[in-house]
Amino acid sequence: MMSGKEFFLHRYRKLGWTYDEVRLEQAIRINTMNTQQESVIERLRQRGVKLEKISYLPQGYWTRSKFSVGATAEYLLGLYSIQEAAAQIPATLFSELASRKVLDACAAPGGKTVQLADLMRNSGVIVAVDVRKQRLRALTNQLERCRVKNTVVYNLDARRVSQLDRKFDCILLDMPCSGNFAADKAWFRRRTLADVERNAKLQREILAEAATVLGQDGEIVYSTCSLEPEEDELNIDWAVKSLKLEAEEVDCYGQEALTNVFGKNLDSSVSRARRIWPGKTQGFFVCKLKRREST
Amino acid sequence: MIEPLKDFIRLFNANLALDESLPEKKGERYYLVNKDLKRFINKDFLYAGTYLGEVGDGRFRPSFMFLAMISETAQNKTYVDQKTEWLFICGRDIFKQGITRTTGATKRNDYTLIMNRSDECLGFGRIISDLSESAKGVVVKNVLDIGDFLRRER
Repeated sequence: MMSGKEFFLHRYRKLGWTYDEVRLEQAIRINTMNTQQESVIERLRQRGVKLEKISYLPQGYWTRSKFSVGATAEYLLGLYSIQEAAAQIPATLFSELASRKVLDACAAPGGKTVQLADLMRNSGVIVAVDVRKQRLRALTNQLERCRVKNTVVYNLDARRVSQLDRKFDCILLDMPCSGNFAADKAWFRRRTLADVERNAKLQREILAEAATVLGQDGEIVYSTCSLEPEEDELNIDWAVKSLKLEAEEVDCYGQEALTNVFGKNLDSSVSRARRIWPGKTQGFFVCKLKRREST
Repeated sequence: MIEPLKDFIRLFNANLALDESLPEKKGERYYLVNKDLKRFINKDFLYAGTYLGEVGDGRFRPSFMFLAMISETAQNKTYVDQKTEWLFICGRDIFKQGITRTTGATKRNDYTLIMNRSDECLGFGRIISDLSESAKGVVVKNVLDIGDFLRRER
């Protein structure tokens, strides 16, 4: 059967990673559009929260606390967000965000939307869409809590964003995906290769639609929290070959992505993406894409 | 269109002038939307720009973004200590002992913004006992506090 812990761990070994102890640590990201980092650090330390700077994230901190950091005045005032460390990476990969027109195509529950607004200093425009209306409540609550002012939200399938009839400078595709075992104890029991393949197909459909609304010199950042290459390197290889996009170099935490997956050779540019195996963070994959010069 | 907003601002003796061309109304909800954002809005939008609040049951219920905007010029403010800040966020009323300073109105039935020691707005309340006279006991009734974000998620 194409499922189960042994099945997936065997796949990971073939991709070069051996299962190791995973100890996720909670992380926060300070919303500098609303405050100074030093001020929040001091206030949280006074409350007894232990903070450690995450070396590869400009506004990220590992946190340890005897109480929920989601129930402080500082959190409720939008001075910081609770955001998993690897999930803080995608929004930081755009070359320039200030005053840009940005599409967040799978936006709920909104952690990355708030981060984008923060990096944009509430300038420009973010169009945040998600197909799941129920989850959009969480997103709009986050926007209000963090005092985001530059975002418009639609309940829309990312495969239909051309209906908005707008082009975007930056597109964040934080894809609906199969997830990974580090963030879900029941993952090995619940997931099958068929799920992975179904998600990979959905992701390709979203990528193809996003390419149609990408402005001339625009950038797409593609991310998943899946470890499965069908949703990661193989989709990027497909995008490079089918959508006239190319993978760009990124300077961020993670390993070079794979260019040989289960014996299949991929376009060499796929190595510019980054794969993060679980450890202190969950598993993650990120890639920045642009239109190929010649097109 | 924006009368409910103006009426609400007056409760706190604030000097906040809203540009009549910028608010957008969707159903009973009000948003402040700048010109850049307006170009990206169609009739199907769910949320846009700065959420200001909504009218329900004949009352205006402000957003916390709107309260923060009002607090920049409002006269009616009640500052509270750290312990009272937490109790207020938990939905509790304010005791006289927890107040460190007041500005503006202090009379019964006046409305006042509740501020912490960092000058951040935690919500608002209605004065139920004259702040300048009462020596102890509950003096401000909690009407809305930022703990609402947690209660909404339940």
